[in-house]
Formats: sequence, structure tokens, C-alpha cells
Amino acid sequence: MTTTDPATRTSEPAATPPSGGPTGMAWVRENLFPDVWNSLLTLTLGPLLAWGVYALGRFLFVTGRWEIITVNLTTLMVGRFPRDQLFRLWIAIAILAVVIGLALGVANSVARAAAVESGDDYHRPWHEPIRRFGPPVTLLIVMGVFVRTATPLLLLAAALGLAAVAYRLGRMIPIRRRGQVNLVVILGVIGAQLAITGFDGVPRSVWGGLLLTIYFTVGALLFAFPLGVAVALGRRSSLPVVRGTCMVYIEFFRGMPLVVLLFTGWLVLPFFLPPQFPTPDIVTRAMVILVLFTSAYVAEIVRGGLQGLPRGQREAAQALGLSPWKQTRLIILPQALRSVIPALVGQAISLFKDTTLVLAVGLTELLQVARIIPGQEDFRGQGLFAETLIFVSLIYWVGSYWMSRESQRLEAKLGVGER
Amino acid sequence: MSASTETSPSDRAHRPPFWRDVRIIRIALQVGFLVAVGALLFWLFDNLTVNLRVLGIRRDFGFLDQPTGVPILGSDFRAQSPIRDALLVGLYNILRVAVPGILTALVIGTLVGVGRLSTNWLVRRAAGIYVEVLRNVPPLVMLIFFYIAVLQQLPAQADSITAGPFALLNVRGVYLPSIQLSAGPAPVFFGVLGLALVAAIVLGVLRTRRFDATGQPHRRVPLGVLLFLGIATLGWLALGRPLGLQLPVIEGRGVDGGYRMIPEQAAVFIALVLYTSSFIAEIVRGSIQAVAKGQTEASNALGLSGLQRLRFVVLPQALRIATPSAGNEFLNLTKNVSLGVFVAYPELLRIGRQAVGNGFPAPQLLFIVSAGYLALSLGISLFTNLANRRLQLSER
Amino acid sequence: MTESTLTGKSMDAGGTGETMIELTGVEKWFGDFQALKGIDLVVGKKETVVVCGPSGSGKSTLIRCINRLEVHNRGRIVVDGTELSDDVRDIQAIRRETGMVFQSFNLFPHLTILENITLAPRQVRRKPKKEAEQTAMDLLTRVKIPDQANKFPGQLSGGQQQRAAIARALAMEPKVMLFDEPTSALDPEMIKEVLDTMEQLADSGMTMVCVTHEMGFARAVADRVVFMADGAIVEVNDPETLFTSPQEQRTQLFLSQILVHPS
Repeated sequence: MTTTDPATRTSEPAATPPSGGPTGMAWVRENLFPDVWNSLLTLTLGPLLAWGVYALGRFLFVTGRWEIITVNLTTLMVGRFPRDQLFRLWIAIAILAVVIGLALGVANSVARAAAVESGDDYHRPWHEPIRRFGPPVTLLIVMGVFVRTATPLLLLAAALGLAAVAYRLGRMIPIRRRGQVNLVVILGVIGAQLAITGFDGVPRSVWGGLLLTIYFTVGALLFAFPLGVAVALGRRSSLPVVRGTCMVYIEFFRGMPLVVLLFTGWLVLPFFLPPQFPTPDIVTRAMVILVLFTSAYVAEIVRGGLQGLPRGQREAAQALGLSPWKQTRLIILPQALRSVIPALVGQAISLFKDTTLVLAVGLTELLQVARIIPGQEDFRGQGLFAETLIFVSLIYWVGSYWMSRESQRLEAKLGVGER
Repeated sequence: MSASTETSPSDRAHRPPFWRDVRIIRIALQVGFLVAVGALLFWLFDNLTVNLRVLGIRRDFGFLDQPTGVPILGSDFRAQSPIRDALLVGLYNILRVAVPGILTALVIGTLVGVGRLSTNWLVRRAAGIYVEVLRNVPPLVMLIFFYIAVLQQLPAQADSITAGPFALLNVRGVYLPSIQLSAGPAPVFFGVLGLALVAAIVLGVLRTRRFDATGQPHRRVPLGVLLFLGIATLGWLALGRPLGLQLPVIEGRGVDGGYRMIPEQAAVFIALVLYTSSFIAEIVRGSIQAVAKGQTEASNALGLSGLQRLRFVVLPQALRIATPSAGNEFLNLTKNVSLGVFVAYPELLRIGRQAVGNGFPAPQLLFIVSAGYLALSLGISLFTNLANRRLQLSER
Repeated sequence: MTESTLTGKSMDAGGTGETMIELTGVEKWFGDFQALKGIDLVVGKKETVVVCGPSGSGKSTLIRCINRLEVHNRGRIVVDGTELSDDVRDIQAIRRETGMVFQSFNLFPHLTILENITLAPRQVRRKPKKEAEQTAMDLLTRVKIPDQANKFPGQLSGGQQQRAAIARALAMEPKVMLFDEPTSALDPEMIKEVLDTMEQLADSGMTMVCVTHEMGFARAVADRVVFMADGAIVEVNDPETLFTSPQEQRTQLFLSQILVHPS
């Protein structure tokens, strides 16, 4: 059945073998004007779209006053971060470039091994890298337009170079050592934060812009993931009390809007700590709320994965005489987590977009910077909000679109949808 | 869930020592868990009462009867009215965006989702761009963009942008036509409408019977709508046009007539509709594509036309697949109305936040705000679950 | 066997001798892969033809081309005097006259068995409801599941579902029935009930094309057996001859493989 059951095709002209599809006028007729109804649609939608493209293009290239971005690019990236301490940031970026490159390299060799095992031929079309890396490269080019000196570009190129070297290195690491690589990645993330805050560094309270946005996204994910997995296991526990408590936890945090939670964390959380206890700073409070909020969603996703596993897996593990904890850790969790990776990436995207809400508690993340800078002395009263907001929209869009595309790729590769 | 924890039938003589007895371990674990959670909650609550006492903040809800002290944007709420009422206005303002927002997002999302499956290249691409652009930009960015960069940049009232005589657009808000009833014949007209509805339904039933008996196409929907509109128009003319549109008109320093949406509300509405509709579009597309390919093949093999296949085979199944996720999006839209706080749209959170700023106790107010949103959320998920259960039941 | 006698056997209408389905030079491509390599076959009225062959030989593609679930790229397909073309009217005409039974049943899960069966007669043939339901009940009685009429497909066993699917196809009063591995997804004890239904159908004079591996069925019911491999017809003969003294090496190999483990 495998070769005789492909998707039902639309008509193809006879040839040996039949050619790909119609070209030129035939294509236009078939795809734009096949019948009266579609011709009408094309004729109404076409001019509208053309006008939209014209209006947007005109704003982007003619009327938009983009010098506000040029002047404030650093502020958009890091907020009030002291400019003489920026070197710490570059060190952190270098560390992260290395560990991320390493991790991707290992992941790639694992994927290759899996492909070899299952007998798929693992070849890529030549244009795949262009499609894959188009969005981030576009963003880098746009950034390049607004940069005033070449230094950041050179440093960024150096970081990318480091990442590439680490990637090569990662691919050479034997697969059985990938556990140690995970450890190196975690150490790298901690090291990157230490490089900024440690050694008389810059406290998180003056971080801002994209730096804060990324910090919240990555930080909240790192903490929310284990918490979420624990709650998910509790939700599937055979003990009614544990199950009920975890259900209340999940439903509560999923039923609440994040802004309300953030305001609660900001205004009310200190009341719940003993009076002699020092009040945690705003960044910590916001992080705690983001972690609790995200963990409930992670729990729900992981629960779905656990539920989707065939019963036989648990039963086979029991039949082997594994203890309940080992059944979960060695057999159940790895499979469940693998099947929900795309959904978890979706949650990461969601979190990335949700970090905008921390401006509720007075933090100047990316969006807040965009809101503030049109009020600077040089630009006050000129209403340059469209420029700044469109610029940050592009950053959010690239981040989130790219992640979702990568997750679709992953989903296709894991074949999650087919089970 | 797991067989290892199930109790086995063992007689009394062979009971294991209690520390190895599965039943006792289970109870002990649960009691321990309960004690730990209870202790944590008690500790938190105890801290709260101590803190409030130390700071001299009241610990009851009596403040709800005190005057609010500030008016509410876009409503005739008076500053002397109690906080209780202000919070109710906030709750109402959530629904005022959420309900029309859900309906609009559903319509737009369905159109765009179906558009992504169109055979027309332009439609497919336009729908694709719509979805990919909107769902990847944070809703708050869109909200602030529409509020600051669009609605706040609109011309002053005197230079309002107009859409014929029907709508006005200026920096003070969006003005749309409202429906105006004349007191006398209006109730009679509603009677006529009811009559028209009954007539249309009767026609529909008759047509269906004829279809059952002879197999002739019934066309009950177009015929019924036509009959309804015909009777309604006749009645409307006969009663001297009892129902009319009231158009917004600039009158001196204000606008007379019509329905006014303050810019804050309009911004929340537009941003959330755009954002949510992009997700609904994906759900619609995914659900249609998720209907198994064999279903389409079977319909084709039976000779059903494309439209018949959609109407009788694909859509009923797609609807069933889409319901849970669509309900989830409705829930998200409702929760996202809370983003209105960033543009001072007076929904529940904004009202509560303002009251905290005016010296009312934060813990109680945020408790009420949370309870309000939580109640809405749970209400919507309950509704979705019921709808889902009904649809799923029809299969088994 | 030489080329010419093969063509003779495959182009000889069986049954009443009149032609019901005629395929000449049918080719089908999936991208660069050629699934059908110039198929010539004539099926006569009231004839039962069984198509067999190893998986991937193109047999399913062949019968899916007959009612245009797959679009053939070259050659002619004529069903009951109507040639398959890009004309929607011709396609619908042929689909109305051919019933199809799928390996995975493809009953509509949201409709009851009765609704499954009456949907197409009412919507396509414009039959009155009473008449359509009467026909449906008669057919359900014929396939021996009249008491399942108001259940949903999910509540039936595989064999019952497949028999309901046969009833659904028959309700359109087709001139030809196409069976695409109708028993492959069934448990052994259910295969017999479906095969009995099919045998009964063949005895009643229906024109049938069956893709199946059930050699017992082929022996008992088929007028001719078509053996396919690699997208081409290798051998065509009456079942007795083909099974006892196959002429081609491919056929011998295939038969030895499936007959070692009788299922």
C-alpha cells in the first residue's frame, strides 16, 4: 500500500514523466481566474493588497523617520544597562554562542543517527538553509542598517563564528555523551548570567530592552519545565489527593490572565511573606509569576503526552520489574516528552510574546522601551510611535515566526502527527 | 492507573507489615501531602494577616460600599457610587469587548481559514500572510500600536473621517449607527417579525417534507430567508418604518446619536480580534485538513458533489475536531481583555488597580479581580466542555 | 506466454461478453515514479475479476483510477460507454455507476449506518426518504445486519462495518463494484462474513473488480484472475489455470510465497 496510496492529485498533463505543472498564462488562468467567482475574488483582493503593499512600502522607505531607531538601538537592546559595562554582555553572548552551537551540533548528530537507523535518506534540498534562516538573517540585516559603528557587527560575527566552531565540535561528540553536554549547556547559561551580574557586575534591576525579554523567556522556561513536569506527573498520580491538588493548581493558573497574576505578584506577593523577610526585587517577583503561570501550561501539555502513550508501555515496564519511579523516569517520561516537543516550543513562543506584559510592573523590556523613546527630548511631540512599535514588532515577529517554523520542521521530523 | 499500586486480595493472616502494605503507604503518602500543602497555605495566610495588622490595613470587604472617588471612562458612572458598582461596571466592560470580539474573530477566522485552503493562489497567499503576521506579534504590541499610533493620531472631531453618513472616526472614538425604535408601532413590528419567523420555519418544514417524499431539492434556507425578509419589509413599510438607523452626527462640540466606542475600547477590540482570528483561522484550516482522507474518497466514490461533500461529510466532522481548540481561543480572548489595563480601558483589572491607587486594600481588590476573571474563564470552559460532549456523543 | 496471448486474455471480455470497463494503455505517475505502465484490460458485464500481486505492484492504483480517485496520466478508461475525462459531468456519471469498498471501510463516523446508506441515494439520486430507507433496510438484511441500522459505525465490529460499507455502495444501484482489499483490515474470523457477502453479490450477476489476496475467494468466485507486478499486468487467466499452472516466473514466485503460509 505504501507506494499506491499517495494524496489524491489534481489533474496533471500527460507526459513521460508528467511535468510539474502549468506555466505562464495557463498557471495564471488556473490559479487566479479559473471561474467567475474566483476572478471576482482576485479582482477585489488584488488591488487591495497592492495598495497595502504600496502604503507599507511608502512608510518603510519614504515617510518613516527611522533616525529614532538609529539613535536608540542600544537602548532598545539593553535598556538602561550601563554603557561602560557592555563588554560583560558580549562575554555572555560568547559563552551562550558556544553552548548553543554545541547543543545544536549534538542534536544534529542524534537526528542523523536516527535517520540512518530508520533508513531514511537524509538529504536536504539546496534551498533549505535559505528558507530556514531567512527570517533571522533579515533581522540581522535590518539591525545592520541601524548600527552606527561596525564594532557590534564584528563582535556578532565573531560570536556566530564561535557558534559554528562549537557546532562542528558538537557533531563530533559521541552520542552516548549527550547527557554531559546538557550539563555543559546549563552551566553555560548560569555562567552567562554570572558574567553580567557577578564580579561587581550589573544588577538585573537596570537590565532592559531585548536583553530583559530574552532573560525572562529563557529563565522562566528553565524553571517552569521541571515544575510543570512534576505537576503533570502529580496530575496523573493514582493518589486522589495529589491528583486533585495538581488539577486545582493547573486550572487556577490557566484560568487567570497573566496581567492579573503579575499585578498580584507586584502588589500582593510581599504580603504573603513574613514581615522580617526582605521583599524580593521586581525582576524576581515577575519571574516567579511567569514561572508559575508557564508551569501550569507545561503541565497540561506534558499531561497530554502522558495520556497519549499506549498503556502497553507502562505495562511492559512493570513486567520487567522496574520500580514505579524507574518506570516513569526511564520509559514513560522520555517518550511522553519527545511527543510533546512541538507543543512545548509553542509554549515557549507564547511565553516570548507574553513577556511584554512585565511592563505592568514597571520593567522596561523591549516594548516599554519602544513606548518611552518617542518621548525623549529630541523626538518629543513628533509622534514617532509607529516607527518604534513597528521595529519591535519585527523583532517579536522574527523570533516567534522562526521558532514556530523550526518547531514545524521538528514535528515533521519526529513524525509526531502520525501517531 | 498502574496495576502495581492496586490492592491485591490477601487474607488477614498474610497481611504484610504496615510499612510494606500498599494500602497503608498510599494513605500515608496522601496524608503527608495534604499536611504539607495545608501547612504552606496556612503559613502564607498567616503571614498575610500578620502583615495587614502590622501595616494597619483593614482585613474585611466593608470598603466595597465606600464611594469610588473617580468617574469611569466612557460611562455615566458617578464618582460617589460605591466601589462595588464600579467593579460591576468593570465586569460588564470585559463582556462588552469579549462577546462581540469572539463573534467577530470567529467570522473573520473562519473566512481566513477557509481562504488558506482556496484554489485561488492570491486568496491562499493573502490568508497565509494574515495568519503568519498576526499570530506572531504579541497582542500587547498590537494593542499599543492601534491605541497610540493609530487611534490617538486620528484627526480632531471637526475633521472626523467619515464613511458616508454611517460612521465617524476621530480622536475621541469610533461612532457607528445605532438602532432606533419609535415607541408606538415598534412592539407591533416585533410581533410581525415573530410572525415572519414562524412563517419561514413552516415553509422550511413543508419543503423538507416535500424533499423527503419526492427527493426534489428543498432549498429551504434561501426560500425561508426570502419569505422572512419579504414579510418583514412589508410589515416595516405598513407600520410606517418603525425601526430606523440612528446615524452619528457632529453637533457643536459633541456627537449626537449613534453608538460610540471610546478609543480605548476600540483598540482592545481591534487588537484582540486580529490576534485571535489568526489562531481561529489555523484551527479551522487544521480541522478541515484533519478529516481523514478516506472520508473524501468515500464521498467521491459515492458521487457526492464538492458542496455536498463539504456539507454532509467534512464540515460536521471538522466542527467536532475544532470545538475544543476554538473554545480555548474564546477563553484566551476573554482573558486578554485584561490587557486593556495598559491603555486605561476600564475593565475589571483597571478598575481594581485604580482603586488600589486610591488607597483601598490591594489583597482584597486583587482577590475580587482574580475571582471575576477566573469565574469567566471557568464559565467558558464549562460551556465548551458541554458543547464538546454533545458533539462527541453524537458519534457513540 | 507470449505478449500477444497475454493481450488476448486481458482484452477478452468475460461474463456476458459485452464490455463494461475498458482500459487501454493506462499510465499513472507519482512524480518520477511510474505506478502503472500501460495497462490494457477489459471487464465484461456480470464478470468478476480478481486482481492480485505483491504490495506496490499498482493494483490499488489501478482500480482507484477506474472511478478517478487517482487521475491517470495517459491512456483511456471507458466505463459503461462513458470515457473518463476532465469533464466533471463524466466523472460524476461514472462515480454514480461504480460503487467502491475500501480497505479501511471509510464509513462516515458522525452518521448512523442507515444515514450512511441513504445519504448518497437521497442527495445524488434524489430518492424520496421512505424509498431510500426501505432500500437501505433491504440491503442491510441482505448483508445480514438489519438490527445495526441505527447504530454509529464506531459501535460495530470491523466485519459489520465492512458489510455496511458494501450496503452503502450497493444503495446507489451501481453497475460495477470495485473492492480495494476489503478484507485486509479485518480479523480472521470476520473475513469470512465479508467474503460470503461478496460471493453472494457475484452470484447475483454484479460486475466486480476485486483487489484481494484471498485466493480461496478468487478460486471460487472469479471468472478471471489478473496478476500484476511493478505496475504491469504479468499474467491473466482463469483461476484454476493461473493457480495450478502459472506460466510466468513472477507469478510462480508470488504464489509460492503466499501459499506456503495459508491464511
